[in-house]
Amino acid sequence: MPDLNQAGLTITPGTWLYRLPWIGLGIGLAGMAGSAVLAQGHLQEFLHAWLVAFLFFLSIALGGLFFVLVLFATKAGWGVSIRRLAENAMATLPIFALLFLPIAWGAGQLFSWWEGPGEDALLALKEPYLNAGFFLARAAAYFIVWSAIALWFASRSARQDDSGQHSITRRLQAASGPCLILYAFTVTFASIDWIMALDPHWYSTMFGVYFFSGCLVGIFAFLVLVMGILQEAGYVGQVIHKGHYHNLGMLLYAFMVFWAYIAFSQYFLIWYANIPEETIWYLHRMHGTWSNLSLILAVGHFGVPFFFLMSRVIKEKPRLLMAGAAWMLLMHLADIYWLVMPNVYAHGPHFGILDVAALAAVGGVFMGAFGWALRRRALIPVKDPRLPESLQLDHA
Amino acid sequence: MAFLSPQLPSTEEYGVLGEFDSPRSLYRACSQVRDAGYSRWDAHTPFPIHGLERAMGLRDSRLAWLVLALGLGGAASAMVLQWWISVHAYPLVISGKPFYSWQAFEPETFEIGILGGALGAVFGMMAFNKLPMWYHPLFASKRFQRVTDDGFFISIEAWDPKFDVEGCQKFLREIGATHVEVVLR
Amino acid sequence: MTQTIEDNARYDPVDGRAPLILGGHDFKSLTEAVARPLESKTPPGWWVVFGISLSLLTVFGISIGWLFWEGTGIWGLNNPVGWGFAIVNFVFWVGIGHAGTLISAILFLFRQKWRTSINRSAEAMTIFAVMCALTFPGIHIGRPWVAYWMFPLPNQMGTWPNFRSPLLWDVFAVSVYGGVSFLFWYVGMIPDLATIRDRAPTKLRRMIYGLFALGWRGSMRHWQHYEKMYLLLAAMATPLVLSVHSIVSMDFAVSQLPGWHTTIFPPYFVAGAVFSGFAMVMTLMLITRSVFQMKHIVTTRHLDNMSKIMLVTGSIVGYAYAIEFFMAWFSGNPYERFVFLNRALGPYAWAYWIMVTCNVVSPQLFWFRKCRTSVPILFVLSIVVNIGMWFERYVIVVTSLHRDFLPSSWGYYVPSFWDISTLIGSFGLFFTMFCLFVRFLPTVATAEVKTVLPEADPHFPGDERVIERSDLAPDGGIS
Repeated sequence: MPDLNQAGLTITPGTWLYRLPWIGLGIGLAGMAGSAVLAQGHLQEFLHAWLVAFLFFLSIALGGLFFVLVLFATKAGWGVSIRRLAENAMATLPIFALLFLPIAWGAGQLFSWWEGPGEDALLALKEPYLNAGFFLARAAAYFIVWSAIALWFASRSARQDDSGQHSITRRLQAASGPCLILYAFTVTFASIDWIMALDPHWYSTMFGVYFFSGCLVGIFAFLVLVMGILQEAGYVGQVIHKGHYHNLGMLLYAFMVFWAYIAFSQYFLIWYANIPEETIWYLHRMHGTWSNLSLILAVGHFGVPFFFLMSRVIKEKPRLLMAGAAWMLLMHLADIYWLVMPNVYAHGPHFGILDVAALAAVGGVFMGAFGWALRRRALIPVKDPRLPESLQLDHA
Repeated sequence: MAFLSPQLPSTEEYGVLGEFDSPRSLYRACSQVRDAGYSRWDAHTPFPIHGLERAMGLRDSRLAWLVLALGLGGAASAMVLQWWISVHAYPLVISGKPFYSWQAFEPETFEIGILGGALGAVFGMMAFNKLPMWYHPLFASKRFQRVTDDGFFISIEAWDPKFDVEGCQKFLREIGATHVEVVLR
Repeated sequence: MTQTIEDNARYDPVDGRAPLILGGHDFKSLTEAVARPLESKTPPGWWVVFGISLSLLTVFGISIGWLFWEGTGIWGLNNPVGWGFAIVNFVFWVGIGHAGTLISAILFLFRQKWRTSINRSAEAMTIFAVMCALTFPGIHIGRPWVAYWMFPLPNQMGTWPNFRSPLLWDVFAVSVYGGVSFLFWYVGMIPDLATIRDRAPTKLRRMIYGLFALGWRGSMRHWQHYEKMYLLLAAMATPLVLSVHSIVSMDFAVSQLPGWHTTIFPPYFVAGAVFSGFAMVMTLMLITRSVFQMKHIVTTRHLDNMSKIMLVTGSIVGYAYAIEFFMAWFSGNPYERFVFLNRALGPYAWAYWIMVTCNVVSPQLFWFRKCRTSVPILFVLSIVVNIGMWFERYVIVVTSLHRDFLPSSWGYYVPSFWDISTLIGSFGLFFTMFCLFVRFLPTVATAEVKTVLPEADPHFPGDERVIERSDLAPDGGIS
């Protein structure tokens, strides 16, 4: 059992990790300034780029929320020492309500139904759901639910750092089940609202699950990277070890395969039935150079990592696993881009400085908020009653 | 069938069998046998004991490579078969889909890949372990019947270069065997 | 008394955790407890269950015989419902067959040691359920003597199967699943067959069990390959389980029929399959543990864990029902909207609401620990869930078909006597096989259960995981 009083469990003042909130904020502000300049005359492109960046980082935070809830629901001991990192990721969720403002403001540029159904008979049928007021009310509801759950879990967990009370763990365990049900429905409808409704004629019952699988790929890749970076900077050396990398690597692998299963099933069923109103969505993504990106996703989001992350040797070498995780994050970004962008660029991906600026803006703010959460509390839940089990984690 | 019967040393004895009373004492004894430099020996237990393979100094099983190869081979041949049948042997227009519809061939490709891997795992295990082997000299030992219940054994085989009947019996007793016997071939 | 708890059975600081194996067992007494049902005189309860099962099996045989003699006209099928009980029963049985390999494979990968007490019977259940399932496509194709046409065999007509047909994927998926599940079950049993062999009082018995034990002699070098094989099989069986029911769902979902063509079908079918499979494992385990007095091996904690999985999968199924309904409305497609409204309010509303009540409402009782650990409640709920899951397939198949696009082709499907006798008879096949299994084969993976005992750890004792029984938190101490 390592000595928990040793250094390495809190961020040391003066290091770059301690300054991460300011660094992040700086990048974010620079990104916003850049976006503001570049958006002149390209408002629609900018809003789509912003949506991509927003969804990408949001998916990581939502993945963190799910991971924390599941750790409590299953009373899992092994993951306790990495739970705080996921808690920090989910603690950024309230910030996303602010980052959503440009989308709310520019929704008319994103959603063709925003001003009303017009002549479109189908949109008229959908109007009770697809209208500006209800859309904004739903968005508010999602952010309230997510923020409330995330902040409540994070603050209780932080409180346990002082008191070590078992009753806190019990209460969080009891709450995790109902919270997961709320989570399932809010994430599903958020993905319907913010991605599926970009193409309001199209529908797929699988879509919520598809977005959810991306969230999990995002968070596990993110956690591997954060763990690795912290350890290289000299933190948590004794409390996170090979077993944690291995387990996270397994989860990343499992949900990468799960994503492929969901993605293929959705594509396959639509391809086979060949109903025009459904296939058009895929037709857009096979048109022009979009087909290249579709192929890259199939190979890069599934084919290559399927073999690369299969080996146990790789999952236990932090550097290699980090490389795999970085790759998966990149592919996850490509996936979100592929979901959103055909709405504005019909002939092929058009990744440019506007997208970089939006990613910097959202990513900087996310990173800053994450860094702020990181340095406020210990890097692991130091008095969680199940921590010893996690510290002794022996992968076999 | 020659491959179903054990290869035996040419000596009169098959080897020496020592019994131990718990996984704990077996574990210690195994590391001592390993350190004493024996090479043709084995431990016998009613269930797999975690970490014993390291105490014995065994190499990792290579089964995974065989399974990977057969799994990929199975998948590839299923895809080729479906392509050949649907494009060459018996081309039919079905719901306006191309003859070679890789999407529709995906399910069976996957299933046959798994089938190949699973057969590879099971029969690979049997081949690596030389099973089935219904006759073995160890079965002649009455005590050895407890190996599938609660008995823990170490056998040192006669063709080990360091083998000698007296010395091995003494050695097994020294490292904690509660009972030692000579097994004839 | 010192009670020892190990690994994920290990003492939990927050809730305590009941031990996995009760009654102060050691290796020898475990072997005894598992081997006793095979070696002792048949309990009268077994004869009763076996007798009932055998009569049902006879009903099955008669129904199939009459079907072959008369043809599918004896069933209630007609236009527009051309796919009735046979496919419903097929999907129902395949679904049940999913828990076995899932318990074994996924729980093994997650290192959930509680699986060891139930995995063997669950795997056996899988195989028998797949046998029942495969009967239905076998008999409902109308000309069962040409069933071999489904396989890519060279023949004098120069014909080959159509690989773009989802029904052909079914043939492959379910056969591969049956085969791999059988291998998984059989190789898992080899060490235990050797145990029975070595205890056998008669030579004949020794030879029969010895034949299937393949000469297993517990060699550590063998165990090493064996464990690797088991891990690899588990790793392959897990996606296999998911793929099989996904492919079964594609029988429906690749079509263009509203109510069948919906993209969430694959994961939703898988969750439903696991749900019904666990319910069936629960029913069987509750009976077996009381008939063969194995309450110390299949403990309340196992029941508790299984109920939790049923709660999760039942809720996933509920989620899918909800999303399907919403998306049917959201699609704006009048046919989609009609099918779902018709399900809930049309002539088959009774079936729909049975389904919802049994599958979504009833498992919510599992939120309460009392319900998860009370044997009578569990027994009733496990049967209720299986009724609900059968009705789910009935709703999907029949309600989507019975009102065709043209109102002139609307109808109401009523199963005939032979439909029902075939369904009931299939339970005869299932339970007959299961009775034979519990009588003649080791129902618990003895070698694996032994590894859960604390003294199986070579570093025992002196291990801090050994906890005094009195240390258990009061709310965790179920026994």
